[in-house]
Amino acid sequence: RMNRKKGDKGFESPRPYKFTTHQVVCINNINFQRKSVVGYVELTIFPTVANLNRIKLNSKQCRIYRVRVNDLEAAFIYNDPTLEVCHHESKQRNLNYFSNAYAAAVSAVDPDAGNGELCIKVPSELWKHVDELKVLKVHINFSLDQPKGGLHFVVPNMEGSMAERGAHVFSCGYQNSTRFWFPCVDSYSELCTWKLEYTVDAAMVAVSNGDLVETVYTHDMRKKTFHYMLTIPTAASNISLAIGPFEILVDPYMHEVTHFCLPQLLPLLKHTTSYLHEVFEFYEEILTCRYPYSCFKTVFIDEAYVEVAAYASMSIFSTNLLHSAMIIDETPLTRRCLAQALAQQFFGCFISRMSWSDEWVLKGISGYIYGLWMKKTFGVNEYRHWIKQELDQIVAYELKTGGVLLHPIFGGGKEKDNPASHLHFSIKHPHTLSWEYYTMFQCKAHLVMRLIENRISMEFMLQVFNKLLSLASTASSQKFQSHMWSQMLVSTSGFLKSISNVSGKDIQPLIKQWVDQSGVVKFYGSFAFNRKRNVLELEIKQDYTSPGTQKYVGPLKVTVQELDGSFNHTLQIEENSLKHDIPCHSKSRRNKKKKIPLMNGEEVDMDLSAMDADSPLLWIRIDPDMSVLRKVEFEQSDFMWQYQLRYERDVVAQEEAILALEKFPTPASRLALTDILEQEQCFYRVRMLACFCLAKIANSMVSTWTGPPAMKSLFTRMFCCKTCPNIVKTNNFMNFQSYFLQKTMPVAMALLRDVHNLCPKEVLMFILDLIKYNDNRKNKFSDNYYRAELIDALANSVTPAVSVNNEVRTLDNLNPDVRLILEEITRFLNMEKLLPSYRHTITVSCLKAIRVLQKNGHVPSDPALFKSYAEYGHFVDVRIAALEAVVDYTK
Amino acid sequence: SKHATTPADNYYLARRRTLQVVVSSLLTEAGFESAEKAAVETLTEMLQSYISEIGRSAKSYCEHTARTQPTLSDIVVTLVEMGFNVETLPAYAKRSQRMVITAPPVTNQPVTPKALTAGQNKPHPSHIPGHFPEFPDPHTYIKTPTYREPVSDYQVLREKAASQRRDVERALTRFMAKTGETQSLFKDDVSTFPLIAARPFTVPYLTALLPSELEMQQMEETDSSEQDDQTDTENLPLHMSTDDSGPEKENASVLQQNTSLSGSRNGEENVIDNPYLRPVKKPKIRRKK
Repeated sequence: RMNRKKGDKGFESPRPYKFTTHQVVCINNINFQRKSVVGYVELTIFPTVANLNRIKLNSKQCRIYRVRVNDLEAAFIYNDPTLEVCHHESKQRNLNYFSNAYAAAVSAVDPDAGNGELCIKVPSELWKHVDELKVLKVHINFSLDQPKGGLHFVVPNMEGSMAERGAHVFSCGYQNSTRFWFPCVDSYSELCTWKLEYTVDAAMVAVSNGDLVETVYTHDMRKKTFHYMLTIPTAASNISLAIGPFEILVDPYMHEVTHFCLPQLLPLLKHTTSYLHEVFEFYEEILTCRYPYSCFKTVFIDEAYVEVAAYASMSIFSTNLLHSAMIIDETPLTRRCLAQALAQQFFGCFISRMSWSDEWVLKGISGYIYGLWMKKTFGVNEYRHWIKQELDQIVAYELKTGGVLLHPIFGGGKEKDNPASHLHFSIKHPHTLSWEYYTMFQCKAHLVMRLIENRISMEFMLQVFNKLLSLASTASSQKFQSHMWSQMLVSTSGFLKSISNVSGKDIQPLIKQWVDQSGVVKFYGSFAFNRKRNVLELEIKQDYTSPGTQKYVGPLKVTVQELDGSFNHTLQIEENSLKHDIPCHSKSRRNKKKKIPLMNGEEVDMDLSAMDADSPLLWIRIDPDMSVLRKVEFEQSDFMWQYQLRYERDVVAQEEAILALEKFPTPASRLALTDILEQEQCFYRVRMLACFCLAKIANSMVSTWTGPPAMKSLFTRMFCCKTCPNIVKTNNFMNFQSYFLQKTMPVAMALLRDVHNLCPKEVLMFILDLIKYNDNRKNKFSDNYYRAELIDALANSVTPAVSVNNEVRTLDNLNPDVRLILEEITRFLNMEKLLPSYRHTITVSCLKAIRVLQKNGHVPSDPALFKSYAEYGHFVDVRIAALEAVVDYTK
Repeated sequence: SKHATTPADNYYLARRRTLQVVVSSLLTEAGFESAEKAAVETLTEMLQSYISEIGRSAKSYCEHTARTQPTLSDIVVTLVEMGFNVETLPAYAKRSQRMVITAPPVTNQPVTPKALTAGQNKPHPSHIPGHFPEFPDPHTYIKTPTYREPVSDYQVLREKAASQRRDVERALTRFMAKTGETQSLFKDDVSTFPLIAARPFTVPYLTALLPSELEMQQMEETDSSEQDDQTDTENLPLHMSTDDSGPEKENASVLQQNTSLSGSRNGEENVIDNPYLRPVKKPKIRRKK
């Protein structure tokens, strides 16, 4: 076996050689018409063992013309086993067999195991040279024709030169997939410096990693060559490229930052990126560390593989993130994408990982600091709402699929380690994972980082990050051959060691629970109040036998709001103890007049008439800080949920209360929800959620409901004219909270049903009037999302058609309400052709509404319309909506 | 021939007929025995143009010398100007073979019906000489202020604006649907809910992302103009929290939008050193080895 030299602490390269100095990538011809690329790479290799006679590199779909080692022709074999995963002769045809064969094929070319698709024989003349451990230069000429992945060409079919058409090409892919466009060691752990050269049409710009050193015309002056140097050691997997007739914008706040977009979009680019410098400032401040690269580039391209892709010193974004100042809804989404991309510059690009099993650290840290940015930018409420959302998602996914394992160690190579074995994919390798699993993996990673923060404090957390960055920073400036470079790679053990050094705390149990094993915790809680002892008897059960669950042992925080104040208790969850006695601080109702102190120190008056006269308990919360990855099902009476909704200041608690109240359709719940809905101080997402709960409660209470349909009078009061309440005010979306509420309320109202299970005529007419009187002429903002949601509301109002003997749907038997709805949809969809809305939101809603009408039997079920909208050439959101409708026919 | 003839028509027709007779007699004089109707018509047209031009031109010469009645010399100058040799005219008039044509029937020059006069024409003010043209009819310059109350009822206005927009949109989209390709939700019916057919774009993101011209215009307008009174008072002012206690207030300042499309505050400085702004270098001249 290989006689590896022990390198620096912790990291051992799987290869018997290392890169030194830099790798050269030169692409000297790009043909947009034929979608082909011609170029060469030159790798400088430094053998670490004698007897090195084969060099394995990664390369996919490239045609290799010629390989030379130190100017001597070298023989090579190219074999990509993933092209034919199951060989013809194999008789087995099942997913399990495929999954195993696929995992084997991927491992066979895995650079982290020293493998590769391209095997180069070192010419015998050089063997002596190798034995002296002298440098080898490997020069590979290659071309790429109509790539299926890795490099994506966008060539609009129209008249004009490629630049005039806006044709462009960019690198893309999932995880390490640089091998798709040039031969390399496609690993995140093999770092080297780079020289990158691209010769492109004179009207085009080539954007790549590192510093643009110079741009030189070719001799015929028709093309120019972009010369890039990347002196910070970087993994091949973090190398990227974008070429197109880009418009260039130098960031007005940071001149070393350059933004690129496709022709005609410059005004949008200016607006979209005008905020980026604040994200820079934020990260540099919390990490107390300069942005590691000397420049940063953002490129916005069409047909993006993912919305955000981060590479060394540049990020590639979907052009669809660009927006003007008139667009409200896209603004926070785009800003989040920019912030995510920038977080990954520090952790993911600059600091890379040692192996796949260390990926969680990078995703965790970048996700965690992105979360801090969210908290600072959008507020604590938005942050907590987001954390809750992420938690719910990972919990649901793990319970459904059997678990997500952050730090897989494949000791015996047993598939038992694989928590998702029944999903027919191996988690051994990033390329055998499902996309959904990987998304959830990233979600869990940042949640676990937050758990670590809870344990060691944010201050220590940031110190650890700073330490990682400064070590990497020192290492990056070292010359080649330095083993220091591995300081730029993060590993699970290194990270944990750093945490223990900085904080002095032992977080092993936490890591064991959430990182080394998969699964989430499922709590069931209920309680009884013992009046005699003045004790709250809390019972907390766990389900740890269902798939995706694990047993939790350790501390659990419980917050009890009593009449005399809010009290935190830390329970020890142990194997056999289910019951926990919590002494109460207050006697029940001694003083009726007294104000009630809340957790945040606020004192409020409450109407206590609803509560149990014998008990001082207002509400109880299990694990309020979300410091366990768990699902809690807690039982408390309806009035307690109502108090929690009205008076608990944490938005997560409010949202939990709203969801719980769905089961209590009573006038008191109705009142609590309506009050929250009206409260301007309340977080807008809570109010939005309250709308939907109110609709559900109203439907359950339909036989006893009094007064106008739920939310109607409130909407009228908030958004309609005082003098003529049937007419909505002309749009003014300056107050975003009101705007979101104005959009949501009609959608929720349309879910109301009368005793016949039909949407009340009054509600339908109300929505139609909103559409009719909608007037955006004086508004500073676009109303496209609002109008789209009004169409969604129309769709929500649709109920199944009364069908007699499966009669064929024709115009003659069309329900008159549906006729009105169709009239609107037709007009909206047609107006979109003349005055298209931003991201065609209205077309999307119309298509969805039409599918709803079809499904409910009002309109003949015919996919022809959707098929035409699903065609290439429509905006991607429209295509997706159309495709979803087409897929819906199979359901 | 279908038209009812007016005295004016008769007058002009009579003159035209005389011209035709003139043309015919000149043709006979020149030795033609017959002529096609079209040929005669064309020649008549030419003759009429010629005579009209003499009249127009003579009038100009006469007015040029500040007269209102043309004199013989005006005619002569005109004819000379038109390239006609005036000397030959007397001889031509006295030629022997000329035919004599009866004068056109004397009909009165039709009276142009007076335009509807409204009110009394204003007399000239004292400083304007009497030979100047009269004032035009009063209706051409008199303004009548109306004191009718404009429709100010908010409800009526909104109703009007809404239905007007809806009608326009409906008419426009129906027109577009009628004139182009359509899709239908009902196989048996294409006219009740006609959908303009979906047509793929060559560059789909442009229409999806760029604000329409209408929106751009609107944006400019709303930047300067106020919201109308009704909505100004009816809309809540932007709610900003003044009290900083409690997490639920933290989101009030969320999403402060940069309202101007051009965010370049200090982007115009000359000192920007960015590699993408540097000029492209000329290729190095390769020395022959």
